[in-house]
Amino acid sequence: MVHALEEIRRLLKPAGALIDIHPVAESSPIEIHQGGKIDVAGDLSVHQWCVDFQQADIALTEIAQRGLFAVERDAVFDSLTHYGSAAEMRTSLKESIDKFARDAQSARESVPHAEALAARAEELMQAAVSGAELIVREPTHISRLRPT
Amino acid sequence: MAIQVDPENNETRALFDMANFSGQHVLEIGCGDGRLTWRYADKAARVTAIDPSARQIALAREHLPDQLQERIEFHSIAFEDFAAASAPSAFDIVILSWSLC
Repeated sequence: MVHALEEIRRLLKPAGALIDIHPVAESSPIEIHQGGKIDVAGDLSVHQWCVDFQQADIALTEIAQRGLFAVERDAVFDSLTHYGSAAEMRTSLKESIDKFARDAQSARESVPHAEALAARAEELMQAAVSGAELIVREPTHISRLRPT
Repeated sequence: MAIQVDPENNETRALFDMANFSGQHVLEIGCGDGRLTWRYADKAARVTAIDPSARQIALAREHLPDQLQERIEFHSIAFEDFAAASAPSAFDIVILSWSLC
């Protein structure tokens, strides 16, 4: 990871900027929005199975300490994904697990977690009024770094 | 309803708070299907967008808006291979889009 950042520094012009965007290493709530109220179906614990985004924070700290880049600006925003149904979310979560799981065991262990969340979301959606929205809220870190 | 990622444009606003893309040559690493690329490319001079997934790059090329055809190049390539073949100091802005892991 640090080697990749060294390569990025080489590719950047001296006055250039690196913008890094990655999820914050914490849970993402699954929300049902209806009539101004929000019910939470559960928390998607991506960090339990996903490639480790905490490592991204560690790498950024390391390159700053080594004097390769300096962090100029930093922010956190919520990235919201809207699903038409719990079934759609279930399929999408399984695809994400296939794509991003750090290994086969964590992928196997995470499927029941995703299934349980999708089932709970389905219950809440069925009980909700027409027009309810199913949203996954993912806290996301963005930073601007300049080569030093 | 199809899945909608960030219809509120929270990511776009955060991105524009971080950088002015006007006239810049941008490298986006991990562009996927181009979801984020479309949001800033009209402001940049040129965008080189890469992703190791051939399937994602095919989707990005398929959905590339006509008005951005001249401005964006998509490549299905791993970053290490792209970097090895690239000259130094080529880009004004590099975006690591959910890829630093």
